[in-house]
Amino acid sequence: MTGEADPHGFSDEHGEPAPRRFPGYDVLAQYGTWDRATQGTVLGRLGPQPALRFFTPAEQATAGALFDLLLDQGEERDRLKIPVLHMVDARLAELQTDGWRYQDMPPDDQAWRRSLTALDLDAQHHENTDSFASLPRERQAVRLQTVQDLDAKPWYGLPAAHVWSLWTRYACTAFYSHPQAWSEIGFGGPAYPRGYLRLGVDAREPWEVADQYPDEDPVAQTTKGAGT
Amino acid sequence: MNDQPNSSTPASPSPAGPDPGRHSTLRAARDTLRLTTRSQREVRRRNESAWLLPNDGTRFDQQLIRDMRHFDDSDEVDLVIVGCGAGGSVLAQRMARHGWTVVVLEAGPFWNPDADWVSDEAGSRHLYWTEPRVISGADPVPMGSNNSGRGVGGSMVHYAGYTPRFHPSDFTTLTQDGVGADWPIDYQDLKPSYERLEQELPVAGQYWPWGDPHAYPYAPHPVGGNGEIFLRGAAALGVEARVGPVAIMNGRFGNRPHCVYRGFCLQGCKVNAKASPLITHVPDALAHGVEIRADTMATRVETDRQGRLATGVRYMRGGRESFQRARNVAVAGYSIETPRLLLNSANPRFPEGLCNDHDLVGRYLMVQGAPQTAGRFTEEIRAYKAPPPEVSTEAFYETDPGKPYRRGFSIQTVSPLPITWAEHVAAQGHWGRDLRRYMDDYIHWATLGALCELLPQPGNRVTLAGEHDRYGLPVADFSYTQCDNDRRLVKAATGVMEDLLHAAGASEVMTIDRYAHLVGGCRMADDPEHGVVDADLRTFAIPNLLITDGSVMPTQGSANPALTIMALVDRAAARLAGGARGGLRAPETATDAPGARA
Repeated sequence: MTGEADPHGFSDEHGEPAPRRFPGYDVLAQYGTWDRATQGTVLGRLGPQPALRFFTPAEQATAGALFDLLLDQGEERDRLKIPVLHMVDARLAELQTDGWRYQDMPPDDQAWRRSLTALDLDAQHHENTDSFASLPRERQAVRLQTVQDLDAKPWYGLPAAHVWSLWTRYACTAFYSHPQAWSEIGFGGPAYPRGYLRLGVDAREPWEVADQYPDEDPVAQTTKGAGT
Repeated sequence: MNDQPNSSTPASPSPAGPDPGRHSTLRAARDTLRLTTRSQREVRRRNESAWLLPNDGTRFDQQLIRDMRHFDDSDEVDLVIVGCGAGGSVLAQRMARHGWTVVVLEAGPFWNPDADWVSDEAGSRHLYWTEPRVISGADPVPMGSNNSGRGVGGSMVHYAGYTPRFHPSDFTTLTQDGVGADWPIDYQDLKPSYERLEQELPVAGQYWPWGDPHAYPYAPHPVGGNGEIFLRGAAALGVEARVGPVAIMNGRFGNRPHCVYRGFCLQGCKVNAKASPLITHVPDALAHGVEIRADTMATRVETDRQGRLATGVRYMRGGRESFQRARNVAVAGYSIETPRLLLNSANPRFPEGLCNDHDLVGRYLMVQGAPQTAGRFTEEIRAYKAPPPEVSTEAFYETDPGKPYRRGFSIQTVSPLPITWAEHVAAQGHWGRDLRRYMDDYIHWATLGALCELLPQPGNRVTLAGEHDRYGLPVADFSYTQCDNDRRLVKAATGVMEDLLHAAGASEVMTIDRYAHLVGGCRMADDPEHGVVDADLRTFAIPNLLITDGSVMPTQGSANPALTIMALVDRAAARLAGGARGGLRAPETATDAPGARA
């Protein structure tokens, strides 16, 4: 999945920030219509992020590789990269959890450390290398896929499905809180106090951009069984 | 991963629901006209909240907070309430109107919508209860965003806004269907409270043909793309679906403006269009002398030495412990925190937790099965516009004798914002490039959610975990396991949602399983062997201790619980005020008459 070239852009070849399906659309062009509290919260994600506090250097390497895979980001696009690693690090440093944990999982901060260590152990056992981050991307993807395929079965002492849920929850929350990701998916963003006026199927505000590829059904394109 | 979306078209579309929602057209016309033309004056006379809000573009009059009455801990107030959400706020406002002195202890902050709320998913985590909790059982229920609240207004600050009534059948499921439990009250007992609250919130929607057919005081809202798809699919299948009922302003009410369709209902309404107790009951409560002590964590309900009567509530505020004396105590912390507080309040008379003589505290906790099915359309849906609650059907609410399960489900529009949608996609097993591809397609998906009436079971319960919170108190462990009826219901609801979306023209559908809402945990009953509180929400064990939140519900129907929680408390408040001369308002003090034993 992650190794193949993407013929549709947002890809290694193009490396451009313009949303492929919504050309010219930039949700940030609307920020002047947002209330101040919302501006403060959203625009704060654009500036420099706090230095890493939670992850150790080894964990940083592993977590960075993990997020790149889960969210299909890569070093070659660093210029445009949404700083997921830093956003998750800040959450963990501040213990900003979702307010619950599975009984068979440690608290989130510990669960993150244990699962990142487990990724390195897994790489040592199966790939004969000392860290997950040192594997080529295709091999990293294979290792991740085995974790996902374990489902409820244990993986280095933790239920794999709950580890997977932890990883994807934190990764998705960070990535899709970023305005760059909103532009990419055509999301209209914050709308107070202005509101939305054009409601209904195929209705757009004057500043919203139509999808250039409305027939691009992701279900049809999905390689069944991720990671292959 | 292995959970690929079902791309087949339905072999046989769902038949129309067993309950088409029949009603008299003349009566519907008469009731609708009567309600929609009614003057707001009568509502204002009994609850002035909407007129106490500012009219200058800000959303809460800070002067009301500055002028708030303050009691001393040593004042023995008539009533101390734990929790300022749906239950606590209504009780405070009602009792203050009856002349009672009332203090409300609220763990979270006193929200200022202008400064504290944002149109942003990740930036709204502070609206949820994020103190640690443990979840267990065969089907553990994630907590947080969809079923917990914090701060003045409670979880209604970030609920979607759906305010359906329960059906008459909900109060007798055991007798009628052989499952669940019978309530110690029936629908008629709650009906006047439903009507009062629908005017105070107020509720907008089409005439409601299901359960006890009734009209709403405000006209239905226009619908966005998601609602349009639901209506289209329902029409194609011959299933009745209607717009509403939502506690979102369509028109103007007092100083509350019309909705602006910004779509962030689940992040707190910055417009003051969506009802929450913060704007529907708290202003009037403050104006009538209630003190709301925010950022205050109740740690223990105290009783006299023999455990006959509650004497007040111990709490932590600003790092210091205090004790508020009171003649009556009401706990309104919802289904997790209310049982937890009672269990943490064990004393020599109640070694297993307050009011827990019959091992019922924390049991029969319920969540609704809330699978969400999304359908893919070539057209642009852009479901993020307009409030997520738009259209619903209760055609499948009642038991259908032809089906292999008892009770039923409702179906409503839900409109996930990007992060929630990403979790939806990730729950299908997609990651990496697949995930991004699905996400890029966000605006093409319409999403429906079901609320399935999962049954109350004794093993689904809150206990105390070994872990402690920052106050040093044991945190709640919530164990949950579905029964076979539950699983069959969720499956059936999913099938109907898939059929609706296919009928509307979806090329693909995908479903994730999730839960919504919480009720039960301290249920009401006719006698102490079957419940923790009586029909007036008074605990059987301690006559001046009430539980006034959703934890008292014996069953949950397929309706969103907010309106029913408020209605139960509205009724209980009238009963409490009516009985005030019965002596309980001023019980003997804790010096204890000898020989008296409950």
